Parts: sequence; structure tokens; C-alpha cells
Amino acid sequence: MTFERDARTALADGQLRGALRQATTLFGERRRAALATVPDWEGARDRARAIKDETLEHLDRYLEEFAANAERAGACVHWARDAAAACDIIGGIAERRGARTVVKSKSMASEEIHLNAALARRGIEAVETDLGEYIVQLAGETPSHIVVPAIHKTKAQIAALFADKLGIAPSDDVATLAAAARDALRRRFAEADLGISGVNFAVAETGTILILENEGNARMTTSLPHTHVALMGIEKVIPRFADLDVFLQLLPRSGTGQVLTAYQSLITGTKRRAEDEGPEELHIVLLDNGRSRMLASRVTRQALACIRCGACLNACPVYRQIGGHAYGSVYPGPIGAVLSPQLFGLARSAALPYASSLCGACRDVCPVKIDIPALLLHLRAQVVAEGVAVGKGHLRERLAFWIYAAVMVRPRLFAWLMRAVRSLRIMPPLGAWTKWRDLRPLAPRSFREQWRAGLGDQRGPDA
Amino acid sequence: MRSGDARREILHAIRTNLESSPPVQSSPSPERRGGQGVRTPEGRGGQEVRIKRFTEQLAAVGAQCTTVRSETEAAAALARILADAGARRVVGSDAPLVQRILAAVGNDIVIDRLERLSRDELFACDAGVTTAQWGIADTGTLVLESARERSRLLSLVPPIHVAVLSVRCICESLGDALARLSVASPGRSPSGASHAITFITGPSRTSDIELTLVVGVHGPQTVHVLLMEEP
Repeated sequence: MTFERDARTALADGQLRGALRQATTLFGERRRAALATVPDWEGARDRARAIKDETLEHLDRYLEEFAANAERAGACVHWARDAAAACDIIGGIAERRGARTVVKSKSMASEEIHLNAALARRGIEAVETDLGEYIVQLAGETPSHIVVPAIHKTKAQIAALFADKLGIAPSDDVATLAAAARDALRRRFAEADLGISGVNFAVAETGTILILENEGNARMTTSLPHTHVALMGIEKVIPRFADLDVFLQLLPRSGTGQVLTAYQSLITGTKRRAEDEGPEELHIVLLDNGRSRMLASRVTRQALACIRCGACLNACPVYRQIGGHAYGSVYPGPIGAVLSPQLFGLARSAALPYASSLCGACRDVCPVKIDIPALLLHLRAQVVAEGVAVGKGHLRERLAFWIYAAVMVRPRLFAWLMRAVRSLRIMPPLGAWTKWRDLRPLAPRSFREQWRAGLGDQRGPDA
Repeated sequence: MRSGDARREILHAIRTNLESSPPVQSSPSPERRGGQGVRTPEGRGGQEVRIKRFTEQLAAVGAQCTTVRSETEAAAALARILADAGARRVVGSDAPLVQRILAAVGNDIVIDRLERLSRDELFACDAGVTTAQWGIADTGTLVLESARERSRLLSLVPPIHVAVLSVRCICESLGDALARLSVASPGRSPSGASHAITFITGPSRTSDIELTLVVGVHGPQTVHVLLMEEP
């Protein structure tokens, strides 16, 4: 299985694990401090979830309302059934505008549909402008964290990369490296014909899209080029403008531990007057790509409430050790383990629902209270029901559980077996367990035997 | 048309899938929807309390703030800010207040107007001067509305952004500010609606390299608020 192999590779990478530990711990601490500034955090989580549930319950209606209002304000709304359709639409817009270079701000959905590769096939260069994404793109890699894409790289590696690709003098000063990227990207912003962004929230009532960021590259992307393309999953819509309040309280605090990110851009259609600033065309691409399918069950539907904060990644004991790449999906961590199998097919991601200890830390930090452990169990059941093979242990596991069930309902058989095991000092094979842990020696007498011999009559000192 | 087909297909898929699961019983009651109720600017405390909180939060997010009592004082403060930063090329927005203040700033500085600049010239500017329509006390945030002023690029591209804000326009919370915005939806507010609204909380920042904070990566490194006390 690729997950197992890639997880092992990640575990052997001391530098990666150090960086992950530092990042996830820091974000966890900042998040806790930021929560303290909200008087009623639990209430805010409940409100946000209720708004998401209400939206999803009537998603068709809210999407139509959003599209109508966005179009009335001057936007052009496109509907994309799947990744290929979305890439076609965006590629078509770029070609029609004669764009050779497009600037992009961070968009998970664009990673999901592999937009950059699709544009490259049309001879269009897509330049990532978020610093972390830019680093990852220059290195020819993929992001390893939703919020900090280049968390797996050290400043020395980035310095070498910039010296090679940007021709700057090697420097391990972080401010110098950021300034070099700023200069290189300013030239790209000035010349770009098209800007592509993601969307954090889309307001049905007004047709507004909202984009959060810290660097200013999303503002550049959405205000400098003549044409702005905003790509959003259909689940990003929320009913009312006033609903933004609670989500803006939850998202930055959960993601980076900030009270508010440096910038929020609220864009409603295109400019009104010739002298207004901003793009002449705004295209909003609504992407389904497997999302409508998830509405069919109440359990799976929850995952569509996700606001992509990344808090569950930072809290997850599995993610904290292996990082994002091992998940082999655009969406890593606990939320990725439930989204990827549903969006990209169980067969391709069958190992991911098992990449969890079900400790529930993800559920506890989730700002919209998604019950990720329940979803993981649901997907595990589906993996078994559909007979998607998960490694060679699958049949053995079924046999083991069959024997276990048979023994556990027969007390005499159980007692006899236990005696046999104890007297012969044999243990069933527990390869995966004993590989990393020593098995404690067996007690000479079982608890039941000790109980019958009078253990139950002994009283504590306070009796 | 292909796009119309996709729209129908997606909406159909949504409806079909929704029908296959039972509807939820408890929908949120209307008063629990959205944020907490909108407070008036006079909400929790008086204006004094809001101003104090706003300036504290500005400092917390790394923005500078100078309180001024008149346009003359604003011009003097602006001249000092620009001189300290060594800014030579300054661009003002089309807001009359900004134009008046810039006209009163000394003559060592090249002052330009946005509409006269090419994109390259804009990129070469040292400072942009705009007003802000609203401030948010809880978060130290400036709110800029496109319908009121051409401030979208001047608050973003030059390394220094100076924003003039009246103390009377400081809202208490994010929810208060959202309630005051006129979003460009013709059905809702036909005139004076903004197609682009920008919330600015401190300077541009990144922690993408080894989680080390760098200020001023794509947007301004310095955000300076001239807080105008009006009689």
C-alpha cells in the first residue's frame, strides 16, 4: 500500500518530523490562546454548524440564489460537474483572454482538480503566489500542510532553491528570502493577464465571495489582472451576509491562531463604473466533483461543512508524525482521510480511513463539530462491505474476528483456551503489535481464578 | 448550451441525493441564525472605550497609530511618517480629505494621483494614502469600501499604507461592521454599493518559511492609521 510505504518514509525523516512537531505544536498553542478571546466558543461552533447544516439541507436553493445574485452584480457563473470540466472552463477563459501567464493565490480546489497541469497542457503558465505554494512549486513538489504548504522544507533548502531558480545570493535570512520572492512575484503580478483564486465563503443573499489571507497575494491576484477566476466547491455557500460574522470568528482562530487574518476581500461582481478599480471580468466556477454524492447520507454529508482551517491536522497524532505527503492526497490529515475516499473513490484511498487511532482529537478541535471518527468508522465499514482490499491482512483479520466471536460467546471454551495458553506459554501471532513493543509476561493465574480464590473478599482499608 | 446542462445536472444530483436521506427535524431558529445581534456603535462602552480598544488592538497586530485633531495636524503627522520612512514618491486616493491633507504636506515629496499612474509607476511608489470607512475596535481592523474611494491598490501595492479614519467610524465588533456595509447587490441597495470591500488587520505577513514571521511580503510592511478626532 502506498500509504504504509510513504508513512514509513516520513517516519524515517527526522528533519520532517522536527518541522512538523514545531509547526503543529505552535499552531495548537496559538489556537488555544485565540479561543480564549471568544466569550462563547462552544456557542459559536454550534451556530456555525447549524448554518452549514441548514445550507446543505437546501444546497440547491442556496446555490441558485448565490448564482443569480452574483450574475446580477456582473459575475459570470460556471458550473463544473467534475475536475475535467472545471479545467476546461478555466482553460477556455484563459485562452479567450489570450493569457500566457496566470497568477494564482492559494486554492485547495485548484489542487484538487490539478489545474496547473491542465493549464500547462494548453501552454499557459500558472504561477503560485502564496510564498509557501511558490516555494513548493519552484521545487516541483506538492504542499504538505493546508495552511503552511512548505512546512517540510528548511530555510537552508529554500535558500539553495532560490539561489538556483531566482539567481539570488545564497542567504539563510528568512526576511531576505521573502523579499526575493516578493520581487520575483511583483513582476509576475504586473504582467499577468488572469488571476485565479479560491473562495472561503460565498454568500447566497448578496452573491459575494470572501477570501481570507495574510500575505496580500490574493488581493493582488483578484485586483490587478483584467480577469479574475474564482474556483469554489459547491459547499462553500452560506445563506446570509451576517453569517460571515461567526465564520470569521472561527476560521482564523482555528487555522493560524489569529483573531483575524491580515486581509479579507469581499468581492461582489465586477466594477460598476469605468473609473473603479479591479478586474473587468469575474468568473465564478462552481465545482461539484463528487460533493453532491456526499449529501446522500447524514454521516458523509458532515464533511461538506468543513471550512478548511487545518486544526484537525495539527491536533492529529498520526498527522503530527507523518505529515501531509504520506496521505497521497490533496487533502491530508483527518479531514483528508474522510474527504479523499469520498471525492476520489474508495479504491484509491482505501487505506486512509485506517490512518487514525480514533482518539477524537480532530472532533474536539473542529470549529464546525464534524464527527470525523464516526465518518472514519463509516468509511471503514464501507471498505469492508465493498470488499476493497486493504493489504494482505484482510482475510486473516476476518478469520481472526470470526474465531474471536465464536470463542467469546462460549465461556467454557474461553476458560479452557485461556488455561491452555497460560500453561503452554503460547501467544497468538501479534506481529504488528510486538514489532515495536515488548509483550508483558503472562500472569501465572488469571483474574477469574484469583477472584474465585477469594480476591473479591479482600476489602480496602476504608471499608 | 453545455454550461446550462452542467447546472441542471449538478442541481439534479443535489436534489436526488438530498431526497435519499431523511430531512432534519431541528432547523436553527431565525434569531439564532447569523452572528450575535448587532450592537449599536454605542454598544458595550462609549466612544472612549472603543477608541482605546481600537488603538490597543492596532498595536497588537503591528500597525502604527497617530491621533490628530485637524487636517493641519494630519498633514504634519503624515509629513513626519513619510520623512521617517524616507518615502519620496507618494500617491493619494481620490478622497477629497486625502487630497486636502496631501496638498498641505511639505514639498520635498513627489505627490501623485492614482489615475495618472501606469501600473509600473504604481509599483515604484513608496507610500499610498487613503481613508478608511470603518474601524473595528475588537480586532484593530480597517474597512475600505470601493464605492467610497479608489483605495484598493493604494492600500496594497506601496510598502507604506497611511489610512485616515474618523474616530466616529469605529465599530465595536466585526458583526457591527458587517451590518454597516453596503454590498453591491442591486436588489438590496441600489446605489452606493461596493463591489470590493477590504478588511485590513495590520501589515502583510507570512510565516511560510520555518514559521518565522516576516512582515510585508506582498502587501505593505507598514500600516499607519491617522485617527482623526473631530470636534
